[in-house]
Amino acid sequence: MISVKDLHKSFGSNEVLKGIDAEIKEKEVVCVIGPSGSGKSTFLRCLNLLEEVTSGDVIIQGDNLTDPKININKIRSRVGMVFQHFNLFPHKTVLDNITIGPIKVKKMSKSEAEKVARPLLEKVGLSDKADAYPESLSGGQKQRVAIARSLAMEPSIMLFDEPTSALDPELVGDVLAVMKELAREGMTMVVVTHEMGFAREVGDRVLFMDEGIIMEEDKPENIFGNPQNPRTKEFLSKVL
Amino acid sequence: MEFITESHYYRVMPFLLEGLVWTLLITFVGLLFGFILGAVFGFARLSKNKLIYGIATVYVEAVRGTPILAQILFIYFGLSDLMDVNIDKITASIIAIAINAGAYIAEIVRGAVYSIDKGQEEAGRSIGLTRGQTMRYIIWPQAFRRMIPPLGNQFVISLKDTSLFSVIAVGELLYMGQQYYGMTFQAFQALTMVCIMYLIITVPTAVYLRRVERRLDV
Repeated sequence: MISVKDLHKSFGSNEVLKGIDAEIKEKEVVCVIGPSGSGKSTFLRCLNLLEEVTSGDVIIQGDNLTDPKININKIRSRVGMVFQHFNLFPHKTVLDNITIGPIKVKKMSKSEAEKVARPLLEKVGLSDKADAYPESLSGGQKQRVAIARSLAMEPSIMLFDEPTSALDPELVGDVLAVMKELAREGMTMVVVTHEMGFAREVGDRVLFMDEGIIMEEDKPENIFGNPQNPRTKEFLSKVL
Repeated sequence: MEFITESHYYRVMPFLLEGLVWTLLITFVGLLFGFILGAVFGFARLSKNKLIYGIATVYVEAVRGTPILAQILFIYFGLSDLMDVNIDKITASIIAIAINAGAYIAEIVRGAVYSIDKGQEEAGRSIGLTRGQTMRYIIWPQAFRRMIPPLGNQFVISLKDTSLFSVIAVGELLYMGQQYYGMTFQAFQALTMVCIMYLIITVPTAVYLRRVERRLDV
């Protein structure tokens, strides 16, 4: 479903990704872990071209994102993204945050879009917040709205960029519960996370990144139970 | 009552009201075009295209680096001379306000758009909105809110700047006051009323803006 080949990304002279190869299959939940500065967020952002790729290929459902003729807007509407800092639109209500994509990109009518949005709000447990503005929500609620906003585009892949890192500890659970539910329904997910518990429990596969490359990848029980790479061991000993 | 009706404070008023009409007309029409110029050049200043950015920067710096009095004289006398046409005084004044305010508004637009968190654009693009849609539906509405206080401030500045057009005999507020004391030698009374007329517009604007500002930074 996603195929990444020899992906390089530099910011000026600073090479952040030094050749990433990865395959992500349909309905797979892949968690990306690693120390900060390892390039894991940059890797994720290359998957919907929020970062321009320096070299290499990113192929999503047969479309090569590095092809200059590609319509990136079309692809982005199939690849949902959830950000660390939610990035809700503060001037729009919760409902309008969710419907703007379907209305403007999929050209749905307002009422059609609301028919998509309301069940999603229910799914993330925020039906009563439809008319609220983001500023009145807690961090966990904001992140759940952001997930609903992505899901409204009916993406086939969801990318999560440290979705719980900006949350107070007691709010993390609600967001993870929504993500678990998504995984259970068979959504293809790539999750950059510091939540090792989530990676272990929900992930089908864990990628350990450091210094711009994937140092080790395996099933969670192997990565957490019996890591092979000394860098993985060192990292896990610090965070677990 | 007799004192008031007899006084020059009262008798200057018909002059000043006529002047105020021109002052407001020049300010509003000038700022309308100034806002269009400001929006265009403000976005140009955000452009990654070096030529577009360069042209906009030259415009902004040229206007901000020269006195508006020189600008009005340049437009009214200089351009007339160059192109061998007579530009109407009011038109020249409107052009002067538009070009002058346009440069400052360009910086207001640039600053406001630039101040919107980068994550907003990323969120918009990530749900599939185009660059243009993201600007129109996500960035611009938020940026525009932030522009209201500085735009109001620019309104006050431009309104006061119209008084400089008295040098080319535009019949605006200050000029009409000068006309009055030229005839009556009552400079103190005439100019007092001129200032009061300006304050009647500028003070409520300032008060209103402060309220808007307070509402905006919650």
